[in-house]
Amino acid sequence: MTTAAGRAAPAGYAPGPGGYDEMVAPDGSIRPAWHPLGQTLAGMDLRDMRRYRAEASRLLADDGVTYHTPGTGERRNWQLDPLPMMISAEDWAVIESGVVQRAELLNLVLSDLYGPQRLLRDGLLPPRLVLGHPGFLRELHGQRVRGDHQLFTYAVDLVRDVTGTPVVLSDRTQAPSGAAYALQNRVVTSRIFAQLHRASHVQRLAPYFRALRKGLQEVAPEGATLPRTVLLTPGSRNETAFEHAFLAARLGVSMVEGTDLTVEDGRVWLRSLGHLEPVDVILRRLDQEWCDPLELRAGSLIGVPGLVQAVRTRTVSVVNTLGSGVLENPALQAFLPRIAQQLLGQPLRLPGVRTLWCGQTEPRREVMADLSRWVLKPIARVAGRGNSILCEQLDEPQLRRLRAQVLADPSGWVAQEPLRPASAPTLTVDGVQPRRTVLRAFAVADGQGYTVMPGGLTRVADDETIMIANHRGAVSKDTWVLAGRPERLTGFWMDPLVPSVEARESGMPARAAENLFWLGRYAERAEGVVRLLREIDDRRTEFSDTPPPGQTTTSTDRATIGAACIRALLQAVTQVTTTYPGFTGPGSEARLADPEQELDMIAGNDRRPGTLAHAIRQLLDCVDSVRDQLSGDTWLVVTDLQRRVMATEQNGGSAPRRRSDDRVGSALSDSARILHGLLAIQGLAAENMVRDAGWHFMDAGRRLERSLQIVALLRATTTHVRDTPADSLVLESVLRVDESIITYRRRYRSHAQVDTVLDLLLLDPHNPRSLTYQLERLAEDLRQLPGHPGPGRIAPTERAVLEASTALRVADTTMLADRTDGALRPDLDEFLAHLYGLLVRAGDDLGELYFTHQLRQRQMATAVSRPAALEQRPVVPPGPGGPR
Amino acid sequence: MTFRVTHTTAYTYESQVSASFGEAHLLPREMPGQRVHSAELVIDPQPEESAEHTDYFGNRTSYFALRSPHRALTVTATSVVEVTGRGPSGQLLADQPWEAVRDALAAAERADGTPPDPETLAATSYALASPQVGRSMAAAAYAVPSFRPGRPVLEAVEHLSHRINTDFSFRPGATAVGTPVEQVLSRRAGVCQDFAHLTIAACRSMGLAARYVSGYLETDPPPGRPKLQGADVSHAWASVFIPRAGWVDIDPTNDQLVSDRYVTVGWGRDYGDVAPLKGVIFTDGETRGLKVSVDVRRLPPAGAMVQQQTAAAPAQPGAPRQTQQQQQQQRIQPSTGEGW
Repeated sequence: MTTAAGRAAPAGYAPGPGGYDEMVAPDGSIRPAWHPLGQTLAGMDLRDMRRYRAEASRLLADDGVTYHTPGTGERRNWQLDPLPMMISAEDWAVIESGVVQRAELLNLVLSDLYGPQRLLRDGLLPPRLVLGHPGFLRELHGQRVRGDHQLFTYAVDLVRDVTGTPVVLSDRTQAPSGAAYALQNRVVTSRIFAQLHRASHVQRLAPYFRALRKGLQEVAPEGATLPRTVLLTPGSRNETAFEHAFLAARLGVSMVEGTDLTVEDGRVWLRSLGHLEPVDVILRRLDQEWCDPLELRAGSLIGVPGLVQAVRTRTVSVVNTLGSGVLENPALQAFLPRIAQQLLGQPLRLPGVRTLWCGQTEPRREVMADLSRWVLKPIARVAGRGNSILCEQLDEPQLRRLRAQVLADPSGWVAQEPLRPASAPTLTVDGVQPRRTVLRAFAVADGQGYTVMPGGLTRVADDETIMIANHRGAVSKDTWVLAGRPERLTGFWMDPLVPSVEARESGMPARAAENLFWLGRYAERAEGVVRLLREIDDRRTEFSDTPPPGQTTTSTDRATIGAACIRALLQAVTQVTTTYPGFTGPGSEARLADPEQELDMIAGNDRRPGTLAHAIRQLLDCVDSVRDQLSGDTWLVVTDLQRRVMATEQNGGSAPRRRSDDRVGSALSDSARILHGLLAIQGLAAENMVRDAGWHFMDAGRRLERSLQIVALLRATTTHVRDTPADSLVLESVLRVDESIITYRRRYRSHAQVDTVLDLLLLDPHNPRSLTYQLERLAEDLRQLPGHPGPGRIAPTERAVLEASTALRVADTTMLADRTDGALRPDLDEFLAHLYGLLVRAGDDLGELYFTHQLRQRQMATAVSRPAALEQRPVVPPGPGGPR
Repeated sequence: MTFRVTHTTAYTYESQVSASFGEAHLLPREMPGQRVHSAELVIDPQPEESAEHTDYFGNRTSYFALRSPHRALTVTATSVVEVTGRGPSGQLLADQPWEAVRDALAAAERADGTPPDPETLAATSYALASPQVGRSMAAAAYAVPSFRPGRPVLEAVEHLSHRINTDFSFRPGATAVGTPVEQVLSRRAGVCQDFAHLTIAACRSMGLAARYVSGYLETDPPPGRPKLQGADVSHAWASVFIPRAGWVDIDPTNDQLVSDRYVTVGWGRDYGDVAPLKGVIFTDGETRGLKVSVDVRRLPPAGAMVQQQTAAAPAQPGAPRQTQQQQQQQRIQPSTGEGW
């Protein structure tokens, strides 16, 4: 149903002459695969396009799709151009068979290099290219994973050159990233162009992920029935942390960090809740040298000591195999055509970019004759930054320096011919414009052969540059491979032709449980601080016509009462947040007189524990580390909170502030916005989360933290005796902060008094904000955790909680309120202090039982060869190194 | 000669260590000219796990893991090793110019579809920069005077070793594990490891293949004094590849070719490949003490052992011919037992 409108290029879309454009042929007509999209574009104006762009950003943000800046770990939103890249079925067939061939070939090379090394013996590869490459791990020589496929997942970056031929730019063989981003791009793009997507018969990505699941089963060590798989991540600050969590959740495997694993009895175990669970397969997303501080990189704190030994005993399969990084040497490209002929008896189906290895005399001469024509790359890729040097952009001195660098170590460099990648239509602020693109295609060994993802991750240069990489802020595109005929619909998990592969549910790492517990605690803490700060602001506004709180007089007029109340609340906020000295102790009078700065600190300083900003920062860190445990709506809600915090930061520098900047003119204050996000988390946890162990840890954290907050607030306010009018103002504030003011008014119909406030906030089992209520819920959570001895019995973690409950039950609030000693209520103070101590103990006991307590990892001290007598002196070992 | 070697490493820790994972290169390997009659590793406290494998370079590598809390760790390696027929064979080594060796190694890198000489191919690993012996312009500059055009390779290497011995002072504490060759060069001081690394760096800069050898040297007590238990140290030297002759071990610290007084544990590209003991521990405190003692004791030649001497070099296809030579006159000064 293509009309003429779809056959001509959109107005203003003009690919430069001499290049290849994916959509528009040289004669100005639109290529067939692009007809439907061309038609859609023809019907859009600039406003529509901007709307599509905004919609894509919103959908990605909703799903929390992020990419972290390498090095700093700063979170950035994933960039997606909503216009998909179109690839016809015929074009795809060429790419797919080329990718399979290349994966098969590289698999043979990998098997050989870690085995007989025939390629070196037969003079097909220069030995130094392999033996001198840091990706070649001698420790793993002779080790194989089960099956023929030693190269498990594989990704290749392809560009179309000026003739339209797909050309290989580089290979990724260590822990290729991008597959989950590709799937995410599909989710968003197919929502934005729903109709177009339905009409276009786009091949689904699901088979790739199914093959990945199947491959993970197939590669498990011999004898592992129902193998247990984990995904090993460097941590939540890694560039592609989103992808790790996304993949783990989709594959139904646990996402673990190095410290979650331990090697014992010759095999790898997951430190789960209070026990160890065996691990059979590790899907590695950690660069190989960081995986084992014992045998690989000594300083690595993110690896698993003994992992290489476990691989050696064949009790665990690590994929991609440790050592597969040797294939990422770009110099291999120069030798692959001949190796293909030798090993496969065929030429390469996908040509590689012309590559010259400077370690050989003739090629080096050619490169040096005119360095400026080439792109130079070191043979050892440094992760997370640009490795390609586009020589035409260098000035004379820079070229001279580079030349000297290359000549000093020629075998460490390759030169590649610069390509001019084909352009594809991209939505920019100025409408649809041609932009250069690179396609990352993915393949996985599924046990029989390689399955290629029909599609992939297309990345778009953000300007005219030919360098395209995510760390340079590239935008991505969904890639639509058109089916020859309408596709059979298959779900993600099912394939009628393949019997379902059974996987064992992986246990929860103790670290994840700990993070969920703290997620609950920090969410509650943040909420408590927001409420207290808001109450202070409200009171200050209410009494803004009165003199500052420092200047009290003896009269009991409204102003003085207000000042006394504000003073009490300020001191309380210091005590509850433990941001001493603050409004207490020496020097506090000046701050009480002008509290603005101190209050801003309590709201916005994310380095000081106790502040709002610190709690939120920690909360988001917890969320990041347990992303795979959270699903669907939880993700949506925490992402919403993330967005609110980020928006707040963008409004004016550092962290959350107490009020919105007037310049922004937002009706909501920042704190209200954040409170909103926090409440959404609470509501969701109450209503929509499955009540599994993870939920109980999170809820236990919330209950414990709220209990601590109640006790701290009461201790800071009710243990002081004030004039009745001031006291009732303070108590009213306390009730408001604890969200109990309405209940109180309904029940007591009087101004607030200490004994009734204590009754409502401490004892009332029906008030969902009371301490008694929190403790009941906390005890219930503890009973639901794994390892509980059963009904009628008390777990060690429950003891302190039960003790606190009992103390509450027998407490006489009237007596506690009435016994005064000068300006203090000593019995009440002592009682609250006792409760606080029990609550702290409850938290410690929980951590003791369930969370892992690793001592610091260090390197064994090394002896320097020197006369024995000198060894008597103590030797201080080198501190642990590593990136974090 | 037969030696009993005892190498003890004892750690004491400030606070409890919850787990230790260790890797040791402490058990001597069998090789032409060296027979290992016994070798064992004793770890105290007893590790939950221990295993042995042969590494990429053919060395015996021990793995152990302790998971019970401990505050001290002692690793003791004891071996009885018989060394015979080590040392150079003059007529084989004398005349190859060093450039010929360089060119043979370069030829193995050609990858023009013709299989390189297997022995030379095996040596190429040791011609490349390695983690602790990187490419060094300074080392290259230092090497040049010894490598005059056309000079026989062994003569050039001996010359280099002699210069290092003369130009550098042996000073424990001047360097640490992992001190780069550049620093050793600028300080003009170091220990045996540093001199071995410098020799290796210099040879590699000239296009030769050189490896790091870890082992022990029998020392003599100072004149008139009894030999003290544990007064020896672990030692290190370099070995240089010479096509058709194999590997020639040279000790720049003592400016001599390696003889029957040297016990070899293993070799690699540099210290990092054959560190006697390395590991990962989990503790919140510091390591309070590290005490290493080595004892190399010559055993009286028992009748049985004398008989074994003739069979000392296991017949291996392609074994370097140097080892098939009869024990020859040592042209080395006896070691003084101090200052090396």
